Amino acid sequence: MRRRIPLILVLVTGIFGAVAFFIPHHSIQAADESMRNDVQRIIAAFSLVLGVGSILAHHFTKIQRRTANWQYSWVTVVTLFVSAVIGLFGGIDPARPGILPTHIGSFSFHMQTLYMNMMVPLAATMFSLLAFFMASAAYRAFRARNFSATLLLAAAFVLMLGAVPLGRMIFHPLPSFAEWILAVPNTAAKRGINFGIQLGILATSLKILLGIERGWLGGG
Amino acid sequence: MMNFWTKLQALDRRWIYLVVWLVVMVPLIFPFKIRPVATPPVQSLFNYIDTMPENKALIISIDYAPASQAELQPMLIALLRHAFAVHRKVGVLSIEVQGLGIGEDALRQVAAEFNSHARTNADSVLNGRDYVYWGWTTPYITVMLGMGQRIARVFPVDYYGQKTESLPIMKHLKNYDDAGILVSVAASAYPLSWINLAQTQFGIHLGCGCTAVSAADYYPYVNSGQFSGMLSGMKGAAEYEELLERRMAQTGMDWGLRRKGTEAMSSQAAAHLAIIAFIIIGNIAFFITRRRKS
Repeated sequence: MRRRIPLILVLVTGIFGAVAFFIPHHSIQAADESMRNDVQRIIAAFSLVLGVGSILAHHFTKIQRRTANWQYSWVTVVTLFVSAVIGLFGGIDPARPGILPTHIGSFSFHMQTLYMNMMVPLAATMFSLLAFFMASAAYRAFRARNFSATLLLAAAFVLMLGAVPLGRMIFHPLPSFAEWILAVPNTAAKRGINFGIQLGILATSLKILLGIERGWLGGG
Repeated sequence: MMNFWTKLQALDRRWIYLVVWLVVMVPLIFPFKIRPVATPPVQSLFNYIDTMPENKALIISIDYAPASQAELQPMLIALLRHAFAVHRKVGVLSIEVQGLGIGEDALRQVAAEFNSHARTNADSVLNGRDYVYWGWTTPYITVMLGMGQRIARVFPVDYYGQKTESLPIMKHLKNYDDAGILVSVAASAYPLSWINLAQTQFGIHLGCGCTAVSAADYYPYVNSGQFSGMLSGMKGAAEYEELLERRMAQTGMDWGLRRKGTEAMSSQAAAHLAIIAFIIIGNIAFFITRRRKS
């Protein structure tokens, strides 16, 4: 029964979602809208609770067992708690204060300040490291070892030069050629790949709906 | 000599990091002048927004997180400036919860730019009258499909907690029928979800602003006309800023606003050239050492 009920739910809701797309009758559309606007949101709210519970359980276990780098788990737990409290009760900015005071003298720690001064620089720093790794990888691994690699290298050169003003100075039609590579050969290849992916998604979705693929139920 | 090429191949990566740091930082401090030339996808999106009927709004979906802000924020700023410069209503939402603060920051900046030059109340850009920030809700399928029927049902309150039904702008922005175009500024695959869910069912016109690395994924949809135009990476933002500056100058809005996309292009150009140089040097070293070994 523990397996059968989820399978029946998936089958019924999945088929209904697909059928509603093709039947414009108002009763079907109203039921579909209710599913989307009410049921899905309720499920999403539960998944949020599940997510927070899961992350807390994971980190408290790490702290309890003193596993490697357990100290950082405290950072996650405290940050989660503080940002949730400020987000829920502290207001967005000084112009829109919440019930919780979010400034000490001139020092403010409302949501937008925390976001702009912590979240943005931290995320940007992590992402900007990519440029360094890319340059290093390009130097070490991007070799014209065979015909395919040479072709890839040539295309990369054209695209990189086409993306900067110097490309136009070196050879005037270069940016247009770069644009052509993206618009024609790239599009042709992408369409072929996308067809394959979409057929794969369709087949997998059908397998899940019909209960053939049951990996999502867990338990191996 | 052999030793030199072998050593070059095994160059300590910290030297590469140092060069990258220099070629990024120096042009940021001392930028060189760049006049971007608009590519067809950028020109097409610009023209579409510029000639949108007056009663149609621009909807912008912030589908990225702060990690991609450097590349995508100039697009968001340029799109907002364009819409306000041609007096179109704007609705902004975020599919990425981490993008909420980005939208707040961009709207506050662009509204302040226009309000500082406004002579009358009609010239001002006001929250609730000229733009609305719906904020975020989940799941994205609910948002993309629900907005086609009634936006106020998907977002009962806006980002600031005001009832959306009570906002004057919402009288003219009930669903996708009232939107001229929806532009998804994204660092993820959300633009494709907008096509699958919003365009297929409701026929809304879509535009796309994406990171340069994901532009190749979206070209098929630009070619098919499913995207009315596309801004790819910093270059796309810089091209849009160029078109917008000329457009604003035509209408007497020659305010000399900062163009962060164009400013960063110097750095990007230098970084591209450095990477090209690295690849060439790496290949020369590779071929010389291989020939000598054989």
